[in-house]
Amino acid sequence: MNRFQLLKSIQKKIINQLVICNIGLPSQELYKINDKENYFYMLGSMGLASSIGLGLAISQDNPVISIDGDGSILMNMNTLATIANRAPNNYTLLILDNGSYGSTGDQKTFTSELTSLKDVAIGAGCKNVIECNAEDTAKKLEQACADKNKFYVIISKIKPGNVDVEPIPLNPISIRDRFRKFIGLVSYL
Amino acid sequence: MKISKKIIDNLKKGGVDFYLSVPCKLLANMIEVLENDDDVYYSTVAREEEGMGICAGAYLGNKFPCIMMQNSGIGNSINAIVSLLQLYQMPVVLLISYRGTPGEPVGAQSEMAKITEEILQSLRIPMLNCSSEKDLEKISTFSKHAKVIESPVAILCNFELMSND
Repeated sequence: MNRFQLLKSIQKKIINQLVICNIGLPSQELYKINDKENYFYMLGSMGLASSIGLGLAISQDNPVISIDGDGSILMNMNTLATIANRAPNNYTLLILDNGSYGSTGDQKTFTSELTSLKDVAIGAGCKNVIECNAEDTAKKLEQACADKNKFYVIISKIKPGNVDVEPIPLNPISIRDRFRKFIGLVSYL
Repeated sequence: MKISKKIIDNLKKGGVDFYLSVPCKLLANMIEVLENDDDVYYSTVAREEEGMGICAGAYLGNKFPCIMMQNSGIGNSINAIVSLLQLYQMPVVLLISYRGTPGEPVGAQSEMAKITEEILQSLRIPMLNCSSEKDLEKISTFSKHAKVIESPVAILCNFELMSND
C-alpha cells in the first residue's frame, strides 16, 4: 500500500476523532478520499502536525489523531520527547513512513537508510510505540483509539508513491472554523 | 518575583490560560509562578517552533495560549508563525525576554536584539514593549487585543526590567 491506499484503508476507523493531517500530498489525498469536518488540513508549517495534535489533545477531551510523515517527523524530531512527556491518553500519533519526501518528488529520507523512528520514539520516552505494516495499520489505529488509558505512536511502514491530486480548494479560515464548529466551539456558522 | 507575578496576573486577566516556555534566565521566576498555578496549563517544550504548533492546537481546543521564550526563539519560529498562526488567524501571545537590551552582560545576544523588532514589524505582529513596571498594566488589554484581531501579538520584556525582578 502507498499513502493513498493506506489513508483509504483507515477511513472506517475514523468516526469522530479529530484529525490533524500533514501538509501537502497527505492532506490533499485525504481530502480527495473523504473530506470531513473533523479533518484539519495543514496548508503550511511543515513538520508540525504532531505538535498541533498534541496541543489539541491537551486542551480538550475528544480523541485526536495526528497523521504525520517520516520526513516531517525528521524535521521536528524534538516533538517525540515533548509527546513522550506530555501527551494525554486521547492522543494518537500515526506516522506514515514511506521512506520518502512524497510531496517533493519522492526523494529518499533517512528512514530508508539507517534511521528507525520506532527506536527514536522509544528513546524519546514514548511507551506505546507500534511499528506495523500497512495492512495491519487500520486495526492498530482502532485499538489505539479504543484504549483510553494510554497514548500510542504508530509507525506504519508503507510504500512510496502518490496519486494525482489538486491543492485543497478550502481557505484556511473555513478549515479552522468548520473544525472548531465540529468540536462545538463555533456557533456562528 | 514581583514583576513576574504581575506579568502572569495580567496575562490571566487577559484570558490567557495555556502557557508554554523554552526557558530563559529572565523567565525563570515566571516559570516558577506557573509551575505552582493550578488554574492554568503550563509546560516546557523542547523548541519554540513546535511550541507554535502546540499553541495552534490549544487554540483549536478553545484555549488562549501564550509561549514564553527569548527573542532568539522568534528566529526559530518564523515559518510556523506565518504559515500556521497567521494563515489560520490564531491568537497567541508571544512573551519574549528581550535579550541583548541594555543591562545584558552577554555581548553575543546583541545581534538578535538588533533585528528582533524589525522581524516582528515585517511579520506585522503588534508589539508591546515593557521596560517599566507601569508598562505591565497594558498586558491584559493587549492580550485581549490578540483575540479581537485573531492574530499573534508580541510582548517584549527588556533585560533591565526582568533582571531587577
